Amino acid sequence: MRAKRLIAAASAAALTVGIVALATPATAAVNICKAKNVAEAGGLDNLIKLAKKEGKLALITTPRDWANYGAIHDAYEKAFGVKVTVDNPDGSSQYEIDTMKTAPKSKQPDSIDIGPLVVAQVTPPGGKPLTSPYQVINWKDIPNAAKDPSGLWYGNYGGKLAIVYNTTLPSVPTKAADFSKAEYKGVVGITGDPTSSNQAFMSVLAASIGNGGSKNLSDVSKGLELFKAVKAQAPLVKVNSTNLVTGTAKLGFMWDFNALGVVPAAKAAGLDLKFVYPSDFVLQAPPYINAINAKSPNCANARLWQEFVYSQNKGKTAAQLTAADLKLPGSKLFALMQGGQNYFQQSGADPIMSAAMAKKKLLVPSLLDFKVPATAKVVGPATIADVLTAREQIISSWASL
Amino acid sequence: MTFKVIEEGAPKRGRAFLTSFIKNFLPATPLLLIVGFFFLFPIARLIYVSFLSNENTFTFSNFVTAAQEPYRTGFVNSIKIGLFSAAIAAFPGAIAAYFIETRGGSKLRRTIAVMSGVLANTGGIPLAFMFYAALGIQGQLTKVLKFFGWDLYAGTFSLGSFLGLLIVYLYFQLPLMVIVFSPAIVSLRREWSEAARNLGANQFNYWIRIGIPLLFPSFIASFLLLFASGFSAYATANALTVGNLPLTPLQIGGLLDGNVSASQLNLGKALGVVMILISACAVIPYLAIQRRSARWQK
Amino acid sequence: MIKSKFQLPLVFTLLILGFFVFVPMISAFEYSIRTPAKGGYGWDSYLWAIREEEFLYYIIRSTWLAGVTVLITLFVLVPTLTWIHLSNSKVRGLIDGLSLLPLVIPVVAFAVGAQISFPEFVKNTVLELPFLYFVLALPYAYRALDIGLSAIPLKTITEAARSAGANWLRTITSVIIPVIRGSVMATIALTFALSLGEFTLTVLLHWDTFPTWVTYVAQENILGAIAISMMSLILPFLLLTLITLFVPERSTQGRK
Repeated sequence: MRAKRLIAAASAAALTVGIVALATPATAAVNICKAKNVAEAGGLDNLIKLAKKEGKLALITTPRDWANYGAIHDAYEKAFGVKVTVDNPDGSSQYEIDTMKTAPKSKQPDSIDIGPLVVAQVTPPGGKPLTSPYQVINWKDIPNAAKDPSGLWYGNYGGKLAIVYNTTLPSVPTKAADFSKAEYKGVVGITGDPTSSNQAFMSVLAASIGNGGSKNLSDVSKGLELFKAVKAQAPLVKVNSTNLVTGTAKLGFMWDFNALGVVPAAKAAGLDLKFVYPSDFVLQAPPYINAINAKSPNCANARLWQEFVYSQNKGKTAAQLTAADLKLPGSKLFALMQGGQNYFQQSGADPIMSAAMAKKKLLVPSLLDFKVPATAKVVGPATIADVLTAREQIISSWASL
Repeated sequence: MTFKVIEEGAPKRGRAFLTSFIKNFLPATPLLLIVGFFFLFPIARLIYVSFLSNENTFTFSNFVTAAQEPYRTGFVNSIKIGLFSAAIAAFPGAIAAYFIETRGGSKLRRTIAVMSGVLANTGGIPLAFMFYAALGIQGQLTKVLKFFGWDLYAGTFSLGSFLGLLIVYLYFQLPLMVIVFSPAIVSLRREWSEAARNLGANQFNYWIRIGIPLLFPSFIASFLLLFASGFSAYATANALTVGNLPLTPLQIGGLLDGNVSASQLNLGKALGVVMILISACAVIPYLAIQRRSARWQK
Repeated sequence: MIKSKFQLPLVFTLLILGFFVFVPMISAFEYSIRTPAKGGYGWDSYLWAIREEEFLYYIIRSTWLAGVTVLITLFVLVPTLTWIHLSNSKVRGLIDGLSLLPLVIPVVAFAVGAQISFPEFVKNTVLELPFLYFVLALPYAYRALDIGLSAIPLKTITEAARSAGANWLRTITSVIIPVIRGSVMATIALTFALSLGEFTLTVLLHWDTFPTWVTYVAQENILGAIAISMMSLILPFLLLTLITLFVPERSTQGRK
């Protein structure tokens, strides 16, 4: 009789313990995919622990030589022992949106980096958002105009447009208006089609402010006029690496934050390229935008990646991390590492949190060897609303220029 | 073997119907299944989505926009480039095919067939690069021509212009013509040329009365194929132009796989559907001509 | 076969064609052998490409994908076309038309259609690629084989083979294919080249093959990327040409 009661009690106890044991880690796993900030993820240490267990981070369209992404990937991989893969590094923002909508589970990315002109598709009217809301630790340091209030997307880094030129040009170009000079005939170009390429689109905007249109960023007619004048002499060429190498293209606009990658690669191919900011007006373009994919397969890494990319810390880069550092508990290691925002800063891209970081004196120096001239005025940052208006102008007029 | 006498054209009944079905249809099933699933199914879906608005309701608005600028110019330019690139490749290609097939040894013919197969598939950035390296503003051939007094770039010539595109398209259209037209030459039986000569016709008469009329349908058919190829070429035009020459495949590419996006999300798909319709106008005559000339190739 | 007299037009044709085909290739080739670091020329870019750790992996990957595509093409098209020619079936018009459809749609639209329609299990396997490449090659492959079969006395040789006791498999492989070997070689060349170089469809369906790897690697080493493009162009060319030249000749009726 007593034995039976004992057994019953023991079983009940075991059952309860079992249920609790089963419930607790299960709740934690479910929570991470719904965690909206680091607190809901159980703290930075827990987040790093879960990320290490997942072991993988799936990114999309972030080339290594773009805004220092290569260094950021390396640091993340080394510190947390996570393998970073990039789907279609040269892909477009539309590709990222379509991937989130249609790709099979095995090909879904964790985090996306899209251009400002497609961000509207992240929140389709009458449908579910494609992303999961998340707010990083320093959420308030992101300007309001550059983020979605509920955390569905947030600006990451922005670029300025610089003039890139082949030093074999007869004279050094100093501003956008120089593009239509007769001595540059036939070798002036643009990196792509402004109706489909973000960088080309912003080039037209940069040309616009350099041709008298600096007052109104939503009107790019002056930029279209400038390119029309260039085209009147000779058709525009495509500015890509092979055309630069063959001397087919010798002058155009490019993102300043790609200079660190482009100039050495050009040099290795026997090409002497230089970047210089326009001496009159420099365009601060709207930022590229990050978000966590709603179908993210590695939820913890998706969130840890955001925390890392938005970390404002000054600290060690991948090469400087020692074996001892790597053994430190998660948050201590995190505090030691240079944050993503400073990696962007080094490449010349403007981290979205630069205003706050400048106040806190956390910004490291940029590694670019060219600076905005004292005579130049930085125009912007252009807002998403500005560029949406400009887009309609470009789509309707570019082809018939 | 027993023979079943069936009246020609009588509707088949019962078992005869089943046998007829199996005879006429079944062996094609593997091909039809593969093409059906891997091709028709995606295209059907594309057509379906082209009628959807941004809010997923039924609409014609995508097609309305497709009929306006700059897409209208895109269609016109694409048709022009298809026609012109086919025209300038068809004649040289036909003549080259003629000489190769009739005068070349067997090894030469097969080598050319293989080379043409590879060349017909060149395109995109590698092809653009080859041409810029040769004919670009700092190209090797450009320099040679300049030495002999002809400055290609004195005016407004550029490989990214309509003319430039035609020259580059020739690189894959010519081999395509050779591949597609050669068999027609082969089918021009030597016996006919001998018979004509025996009947007193000279070379000129032979060509005017027999050769050209016989080859003409295949020539037109090959021309239409080249048109379809030039019309829908994407990667090469993408590598050479920056949107200055509106072409439908580029516009579709920009809408479906770009960074700027238009306000109508399904516009690209609508453009694709219109492209299919235009190409169908070239393909249907091709089939009709092929069927008629097939008789002579037996 | 007119062999000795009137070779001049042929030589002339070949010279012009050769000039047009090879001048751009040679100009591009010159870039690929430049060595800016040391000045002058060298094979550095090619050596770099071959030594890249993923070069071999991606070449093998693209080659076997292309190989599978060629197999699908031959296995499906040769029997089907043979049957169509022999039976003069009523579906011939339909199939002829179907075979031309892939030509009329730009690859990027086709790729997006595939993105939004295929079920998960198809999108998850790399084997979807050979079937898609087959569809892309269909207009050319179908035409080449169709015309090859039209040019031979198909009924006669098939009946001869069958009455000699061969079953359909042997008839096709031992009798028909050798007789149309020219068309078969052209088909293999076209299909293989197309699959090796297919980029847009591959990338939009989230796969990585040799062409996609090349654009990725191009960023850091521009001359190296040019070397790789040259290799992708010249190697299939040489390979297939060598195979054609060394495969023994078999005389066919009505030819030569």
